[in-house]
Amino acid sequence: MSRLVRSFAFRWALGIALWSTLLSLTLFAFVYWQTAAFMQDELDQVLRHEVRYAARDPEKAANRIETWISEDLHSVHFAGLFGPDGAKLAGNLDGRPLDLPPDGEVRRIGMQVAIAGRRLQEDLWSAAASLSDGKVVVVAHDTDEIDRAKATVVRALGLALVPTLAFSLLGGMLLAGRARRRLASTEAAVARVMRGDLRQRLPVGEAGDEFDRLAQDVNGMLDEIERLMEEVRGVGDAVAHDLRTPLTRLRLRLERGREQARDIEELRDAVDQGLVWIDQTLEMVTAVLRIGEIEHGRRCAAFGSVDLGLVVSEAVDLFEPLAEEKGIALSIDLDGTAPAIEGDRSLIFEAIANLLDNAVKFTPPRGKVRVGLVRRDGETVMYIEDTGPGIAAGERAQVFKRFYRTERARQTQGNGLGLGLVAAIAKLHAFSLTVSDGPGGGCRFELGCPTTSGRF
Amino acid sequence: MAKLLLIEDDAATAAEVLGDLRGRGHAVDWAATGPAGAAAARSADWNAIVLDRMLPGLDGLTLLRDLRAAGDRTPALVLSALSDVDERIRGLRAGGDDYLGKPFVLAELAARIEALLRRPTDTRETVLRVGSLELDLIAGSVRRGLRALDLLPRELKLLAYLMRRPGQVVTRAMMFEEVWNYRFAPKSNLIDVHVGRLRRKLEAEGEPVLIHNVRGEGFTLTPDV
Repeated sequence: MSRLVRSFAFRWALGIALWSTLLSLTLFAFVYWQTAAFMQDELDQVLRHEVRYAARDPEKAANRIETWISEDLHSVHFAGLFGPDGAKLAGNLDGRPLDLPPDGEVRRIGMQVAIAGRRLQEDLWSAAASLSDGKVVVVAHDTDEIDRAKATVVRALGLALVPTLAFSLLGGMLLAGRARRRLASTEAAVARVMRGDLRQRLPVGEAGDEFDRLAQDVNGMLDEIERLMEEVRGVGDAVAHDLRTPLTRLRLRLERGREQARDIEELRDAVDQGLVWIDQTLEMVTAVLRIGEIEHGRRCAAFGSVDLGLVVSEAVDLFEPLAEEKGIALSIDLDGTAPAIEGDRSLIFEAIANLLDNAVKFTPPRGKVRVGLVRRDGETVMYIEDTGPGIAAGERAQVFKRFYRTERARQTQGNGLGLGLVAAIAKLHAFSLTVSDGPGGGCRFELGCPTTSGRF
Repeated sequence: MAKLLLIEDDAATAAEVLGDLRGRGHAVDWAATGPAGAAAARSADWNAIVLDRMLPGLDGLTLLRDLRAAGDRTPALVLSALSDVDERIRGLRAGGDDYLGKPFVLAELAARIEALLRRPTDTRETVLRVGSLELDLIAGSVRRGLRALDLLPRELKLLAYLMRRPGQVVTRAMMFEEVWNYRFAPKSNLIDVHVGRLRRKLEAEGEPVLIHNVRGEGFTLTPDV
């Protein structure tokens, strides 16, 4: 029962019924008030007119009230002419009502009257006026007529209220029932989502109303949650998988070293190799944490004005000897002076270093790597081109994802986190990051840095 | 031999660090909690303090700030397992002289402690001399004996860094931080290639080796005469 009372449908039905009842009542009260006021007004005018008419001429007063009385078919007209001493001179009223001042105004007065030979105490609408010779004339009318009319209106209201209430309850229940059914299907879908089935979607109707729009929004939210969960699961799986490989190697190497080492040097070799693998593993864990940290934008503390040209030349300077050893021509092309940008110098350097590291790693000997800055539509674009194997068009969207390694990259050492880190750094700075074909084969990465307005 | 204080709550980590530092000839005391560490730091004169960022009872940075406020200038190295990169800045602001993130390599810690103990006292000197090497910081010229060496600006900076720390092991990370002034773990063998280049210019055929590779630790520049 309490569940029924708390239910949305029940409350709506009840609310709608109460509301329409209230509306009907208001309407009836208005009609009642208007009708009663109209009838009362009519009667007042008649009485005022009659009493004034009778009082106008003392000679004809008696006559005129007799006419008033005789016009009456239902014994509702009363009148009387009284002498200055209060003695009755004419009419069907026994005595002059003392609480009725002779000012011609209409008042409701209770008095004794004779109707069909019986004496009754009646409420009468009465008006009195003084004549020029000191007499007083009283004209009255029964109140029953108006009271009856009022009672009829009230009764009609009472009779009409029952079907009104019934119909509005029915309507409320129908409407609420419909809403309830829509809600029930949504509730069922939500319950399935809560049980972990993220592929469930809320039913969306044809109407395109607020409810449908809400359902669509919730579905959009579920899409995003599903995508994120998918990504998290992917990262989790990838971390676990990528950790297992070096840990397996480590375990085997240590086990073999322990069993087979013939002297301390051989044992040390085994441990050293193990340490290298552990370092690789830790490096990966650190990179995952760093990407997460950068993605959550907790690094804004270190933001400042960055000279992109300087950072690029320092990065090239760092990689130059390595490129030379591999027989790769590393060149730098700074197009004049680039305006300062807003960012974290160290992170931007790290992003460029990661891109350069990839370029040098994948470009074969006698290849070329070119790094440069160009100004283009309000932004400074940093590009890195190489003459390496390039990235297949189908794989380009994937390379910025964590742990993704292209078919070719699988043969080289790496953890597939470098470009993920670059993407996270770019996102933190609102830089655009794209990859395309390089002019001499290979690929070209572009980092578009919006130039801070007002800085130049 | 130096007197060192280690404030670290994880007993296993502390045992390894103690073993390593004692093996390198230092006298090391260990405190496991913040309050105990603070008391120990005040009770004696230490050559250096190594303290963890997160300590039971009293936060490492608060401890350090209190020490500095009391006028204690003992060199301090902050260890932290927190991955937040701003941690480093916080550690240094609290009065730390160096910062090392966990997980760390024992050799890295030892090298950094060594660097703290032997901080170059006078950094204003303009001519550095180590053995037959002579570096004029103002002229930007280097000579080995009578032979003038032609070094690139970066190589000059790297050599100056090594010459200020003769006989001391410096790690790749330390070099990257100090010479390139960036803070992240440099990949692959980048630093080795730079050091290799410098060595080829420094050490002509038949000349004694100046820069030694210390396996698993880093590099050291030793005087040749």
